[in-house]
Amino acid sequence: MHELLQLNLCLLAFNCFALAKFNHYRDVFKTRPSDKLSKQFLIAAWISILLSLALSVVQNNGYGALLFCGYMALSVLILMIFYSFKASWVKIMSALNITVVMLSGLFLTVF
Amino acid sequence: MKESFFRSMTWMHTWVGLLVCWLLYLIFFAGTVSFFRDEITLWNQPALHNVQAPEQRVAQQRSQIISGINYLQNAGPESTRWGIYLPTERKPQLNYAYEKPRPEGKRFGGWQEHNINPQTGDEIAQTRDTRGGNFFYRLHFDLHYIDVRTARWIVCFASLFMLVALISGVVIHKRIFKDMFSFRANKGSRSWLDGHNVSSVLALPFHIMITYTGLITLIFMLFPYPALTAYEDGIRGLFNDVSPTNVRTKTSPDSAPLIAIDTILDQVYTNWPDADLTQISIRDPNKASATITVRADTGSLVRDQTPTLLFNGVDGSLIAKTAAQLTNTEVFYDSLTALHTGRLANPLLRWLYFLCGVAGCVMIATGCIMWAKRIRERMKKDQPATIGLKLVEGLNLATLMGLPLATCAFFIANRLLPMTTPERADKEILAFFMTWLAVALFALFKRARPQWILLAWINAIACISVPVINALTTNGNLISYLLNGQWALFSFDLMCLVFAALFVVQAKKIPTHTPAKTPQQRTRRSAKTKLQEQS
Repeated sequence: MHELLQLNLCLLAFNCFALAKFNHYRDVFKTRPSDKLSKQFLIAAWISILLSLALSVVQNNGYGALLFCGYMALSVLILMIFYSFKASWVKIMSALNITVVMLSGLFLTVF
Repeated sequence: MKESFFRSMTWMHTWVGLLVCWLLYLIFFAGTVSFFRDEITLWNQPALHNVQAPEQRVAQQRSQIISGINYLQNAGPESTRWGIYLPTERKPQLNYAYEKPRPEGKRFGGWQEHNINPQTGDEIAQTRDTRGGNFFYRLHFDLHYIDVRTARWIVCFASLFMLVALISGVVIHKRIFKDMFSFRANKGSRSWLDGHNVSSVLALPFHIMITYTGLITLIFMLFPYPALTAYEDGIRGLFNDVSPTNVRTKTSPDSAPLIAIDTILDQVYTNWPDADLTQISIRDPNKASATITVRADTGSLVRDQTPTLLFNGVDGSLIAKTAAQLTNTEVFYDSLTALHTGRLANPLLRWLYFLCGVAGCVMIATGCIMWAKRIRERMKKDQPATIGLKLVEGLNLATLMGLPLATCAFFIANRLLPMTTPERADKEILAFFMTWLAVALFALFKRARPQWILLAWINAIACISVPVINALTTNGNLISYLLNGQWALFSFDLMCLVFAALFVVQAKKIPTHTPAKTPQQRTRRSAKTKLQEQS
């Protein structure tokens, strides 16, 4: 469950980085993002990626840092596939991603 | 020197990459495959497919070691080396081995192995002679057939070139973060460049880490001078100093009884109460110079040097042990080696390593193809290809399509060669290289788009053949592995099918070879560019 949360936080972070960019945001929402929105996406991305790194390292020390590098690669690959070939699915993917982050976070908090 | 820093870097990236890209592809390919070397070795040994490590694995280790010593005392009392390899999650069988008599002039006589099912205690019959995943592991830095030292020098230089290409690639990639998620399909060279960029950037930390740590693993060959200066016996002296458990005692001709293994194990468990032992090695058993080496698992520590205890095999005294606390330099070297080998990885991290390794292969392959495509695109219709271009195209086809096919041939040979074939393991390797040679000869004469498509189809068929032949020649198949939870075997077969699907996609969709432009196409293209410039 820890790994699921770390990976999904990383995926969320890179998704936010992508949506902060004009072209990717336009591909998904068909409109132009405001500067304020781009900035908010960037802040969310940095918080999420740092949280993913912190959780990985706290959980597994040096090994966690290695896992984090792997999570980054996997996240970028997933997003590259979605943004390049199925941009219309990004909304669904994002919703699923946020749900998994919340559920896994809730699970780890409760248990 | 080119006129600007950026152009110099671009020039260097292109040529440094191109010079060794085929060798780098081999190194990356074999390295990526060997992240799963134990799983491949397991697949290559159908007799071990139904063997599982017991649930109380660590609790049984003491009795397994005692049984092993008793077995080896009876089976190979005159042997110079014994080994007891305890079951792990990745290598589920219990293995007792002793070295066979050394032929004249040889330093090693080969192992006589005795595999046991740790759950039943029964001997596992009909294990086949195969190198399994170890072949790819050694190929990764020993390049097979070539003298080991020469091969490692070649690999060292290729790694240096790779590091230069990576750093210069980061410098010349101006939109490294902007283009992070962009892959524009069906755009000719642009698509290949995007593929090259994406595969480089998505695993960039891995690419830099694996190349740098690869150099570090061979650093004492590349840069031996500090050790040569500080130690009278050079590198050997350094290693003896750093790893006292590796020190070899001189073989004595005098006989002496081997100490009761219980005495050794009592000391081991006093030193390491919760030890998960992996291996017991005994040198010169039943001789006055006998030594017993006990190794334990490192767990998920980022550490390559396994915790080791070295005992005198006659009086049972502790000769040496690995230091509990390493110096900063030792930690640096050891953790970098651990990062490279990935032996510490659990299944999740192993798959992530594999994914990044595949990204590395894609990065190199797209780089090779892109160079040839760009040259072709610039050529006029009637302009003959230069020898350099023909060579690059031939090597691209031979390496990029030949290596996966050769790998399939290796696995198919493993299943089809009769069990009684003399030097069977070498024959499997021969099948690998003969297939690769056949593709290389084919590429020597024909290397245009139809040949890429043909070889993509052949690769797809070969990839499908591996699990099919496995199902026909053994008692298991993809579905039974899934139902029985044999995840290593299931993943192996599944990966073959995934790569078959990717080759089908390549055959149908990906133009890996560009014919020279016709004059009309060139005119149309230049007119379009002019229009774009005007608008």
